[in-house]
Amino acid sequence: MTDLQLWLSAVEMGCFFGMLALAYYLIHVGAGFFNFAIGPYAMMGGLCTTWLIITYDLGVWPAAATAVAVTVGLAALTELAIVRPVQKRSGGGELPALVAVAAVLFAIQQLAGYVFGYPTLPGQSLATFDPVTVGEVTVQPSSLLMIVVALLSFALSALWIRSTRTGRLLRAVGDSNRAAALLGLPVNRIRLIAFVLAGFVAALAGILFAPKAGVNSLSGLAWSLSGFLAVVVGGTGSVWAPLFGGMLLGLVEVFLPYYFGGQAHVYGMLLIALLFFALKPKGLFVRTVRA
Amino acid sequence: MAEEILLVGRGLTKRYGGVTALSEVDFELRAGEVLGLVGPNGAGKTTLVDLISGAQAATAGELTLRGSKLAGPASRRARAGLGRTFQYPQLALELDVRANLLLGRAARRHATLWQMITGAFVGALRPRVAADEVAVRAIANELGIRDLDREAGDLTLGEQRLVEVGRALGQDPLVLLLDEPFAGSDARGVAGIAEVIHTVRRRGHAVILVDHNVDLVARLVDRIMLLDRGRVVFDGDPRECLASQQMQNVYFGLDTDDDDAGDGSPKAEVQDVRS
Amino acid sequence: MTAQTSQPAAATAGWDIRDIRRVPGIGGFALGCAAAVLILLWVGSDGYKQTLVTSAATYALIALGMYVPYLMAGSLSMAYSAYAGIGGYAVGLISTKTGLPLAVAWLVGPIVAALLAVLLGLVTRRLSGFFLAAVTLLFGMAFTAFLIDAEALSGGSGGLGNLRPLNLFGWTPSHYQVVLGSAVIVCVIAFLLDRLRLSPWGVIVRTMRDAPRAVEAAGVRVPVLNLLALALGAAIAAVGGGLFTYSAGSITPDTFTLNIVFLAIFMPLIGGAGTPWGAVAGAVIAVELTLNFPAIQTSGTLLLALGVLVIMLVAPRGVVGYADKLRTRTWALLRKEPDRG
Repeated sequence: MTDLQLWLSAVEMGCFFGMLALAYYLIHVGAGFFNFAIGPYAMMGGLCTTWLIITYDLGVWPAAATAVAVTVGLAALTELAIVRPVQKRSGGGELPALVAVAAVLFAIQQLAGYVFGYPTLPGQSLATFDPVTVGEVTVQPSSLLMIVVALLSFALSALWIRSTRTGRLLRAVGDSNRAAALLGLPVNRIRLIAFVLAGFVAALAGILFAPKAGVNSLSGLAWSLSGFLAVVVGGTGSVWAPLFGGMLLGLVEVFLPYYFGGQAHVYGMLLIALLFFALKPKGLFVRTVRA
Repeated sequence: MAEEILLVGRGLTKRYGGVTALSEVDFELRAGEVLGLVGPNGAGKTTLVDLISGAQAATAGELTLRGSKLAGPASRRARAGLGRTFQYPQLALELDVRANLLLGRAARRHATLWQMITGAFVGALRPRVAADEVAVRAIANELGIRDLDREAGDLTLGEQRLVEVGRALGQDPLVLLLDEPFAGSDARGVAGIAEVIHTVRRRGHAVILVDHNVDLVARLVDRIMLLDRGRVVFDGDPRECLASQQMQNVYFGLDTDDDDAGDGSPKAEVQDVRS
Repeated sequence: MTAQTSQPAAATAGWDIRDIRRVPGIGGFALGCAAAVLILLWVGSDGYKQTLVTSAATYALIALGMYVPYLMAGSLSMAYSAYAGIGGYAVGLISTKTGLPLAVAWLVGPIVAALLAVLLGLVTRRLSGFFLAAVTLLFGMAFTAFLIDAEALSGGSGGLGNLRPLNLFGWTPSHYQVVLGSAVIVCVIAFLLDRLRLSPWGVIVRTMRDAPRAVEAAGVRVPVLNLLALALGAAIAAVGGGLFTYSAGSITPDTFTLNIVFLAIFMPLIGGAGTPWGAVAGAVIAVELTLNFPAIQTSGTLLLALGVLVIMLVAPRGVVGYADKLRTRTWALLRKEPDRG
């Protein structure tokens, strides 16, 4: 466990999972359910960017901006066209929302496959500079970007939730849509904002992570699961909690295969899921209500 | 001549968080007896029913049914002879009334794992049992439920409560626990439930009836237990209860004990609005 | 779906056909068999079409396997790729590693799958909704990982191939007969599940979905019944897995992907959740779109995905649900009875 390069890799994975978990967190706090389509949103970010660069020879930043816009649009569409009507019709039951989200996940995967093709495309780094060497560790530009952007995302989200009116209302709306509506809070607008922000964060995460191992239309499923695990492990007690969850999973993802061989991280994820879901379903950081 | 004692509760207590929902409740229920349970909101009526049926675990105290200890999960107690309805009807809303009524009766045949396994095979081979149809129809007639083909979700609250009673009746329980069955019912619904109570009594079984409508309860039961803040403050004849001081205290807040001032002063002034 | 309940004798004028209608589930069975016959006639000896039918049968069986716990008991487990895989690997292993008659595989596979489902169900018994779906999905992935790792047992990434043909007392079915057999198995299982749904057992399980407290209060241990439902579903999915592996002649860890699990969720949605035949109808539609669609202009699977979203929003009862509504309305019209919907 002294190989610092591995630790860096784990931190980088942790930041990626953390950002996905942040996206889950925003939607869970604002709309009260787990949007399993977060993985496909991230996939869209990464895949669309690369595809635009390869097919239309766009620069990295315009391609990325377009990809983010498309993803944010998909996220908004998810809430407006799918989740809201289904939740309203089924009275907030869990199963219809779950099936609806699964359908969205599936549809986005298929759409991506159809538009962008099925082969794995390489990611594009948003900034190119020489790798930084710190001691015996070489930090690739994509890794540095991932870590910096992740920390920034969390910091800005924390600021947003604490300082802006909409941010502070996010929790109130999520705790009970109906109570919030009765109080005159703009429930629909806040939910939509949560989805849009989540889509933004997820798309960014996908763009930043794609350089690591490439991205294809089916990447989203595994990323959805990882993000979900990370947010459950971290808990919804604080906006920084998803980052801790992500870090734990990053450790699992990197160190288990190192010690136990190829597929060990899958077993590790399953084990963590069973442990946390059964024993600590509220996660490591639980919101305490002050009496 | 004393009837057989069916259900005994001793020292039933329920505490959670910092709240004491029930404190040292004792009671006895005899065969053929109808016991009314009344009290203001939060008195602990539903909690007591939950403790008896097993929906909640008691913090302390014990229950015996026909001499044997009554414990364990709700399903075990139901098999021992309890049947109940819920404060908010628990029905399969997408199934029709017939299916909902059938549940109580069908459950008796699917109690053990072996019965569940064989029940699946039997069900696939013989989905409709004529005896079930007859029994369900009889229960429906007794309660005045018409049109068994309606979806349970389409019924009014009062009708749903009626179906729940019918379902519990299908279990042929020794003790029938009715939790606020009259709320939302019309006269016909009330008559149907009253009929059921009489039938159960005639069979030599017993009923515990919880409701807010004290007058109605008093007319239907042999005995009333008045609960206030988790304690039994009256246990006896219904008419005496209505006239009792305890009734006044509990419902109008005129309290001579447990108040802060400790000097017997009333908690609230009951003013005559006509003056 | 209340259309199949028998009517009291005195209520309507005597129609002989009513006596047939008194057999619960016969309506669906008749339509299903008719459709199966048409499909089989269409297939003939075309090898490609035969593959389509066995694929549809496998999808249908996996969807039927999910029907009991998911649609009847309301718990969505996504471990079905594992259960189908167990069925398939049972056929593969018994064929290549033992001398036992191959038919035993359709006994061993479902039993092992059922046991695994019970184990998974025990471990996840306090989970529901999103958590259950995520854990079971992870389990499916872990199972695939296990298949890749356990080379000595499963043949690793290469899987198992060269399966010997079925030998039932000296008779070996031809490929067409296998196709016919799979259609028959689907129809029989759908018919039995339809009757199960209408039976007292089915009523208890379906009530478990919306009102588990009521089921407990009636004397049935909900966790135990839930496990039984899971076991039954896993066994049926394993039958499908075995069937597919037999007709394909080989199996790898990639044969039963998570994709199939998603499709298995959507098939009852497309076809209609009111009856198991909806899952079968959905399977046929799914296979047609994903495997047989001219991939020139649009992608069939994308169409399917979008179709699922549309149906979810617009026609939640699915194709069969609407067809059934049409049927009851027409029937009522013919009988000049008020429509009970």
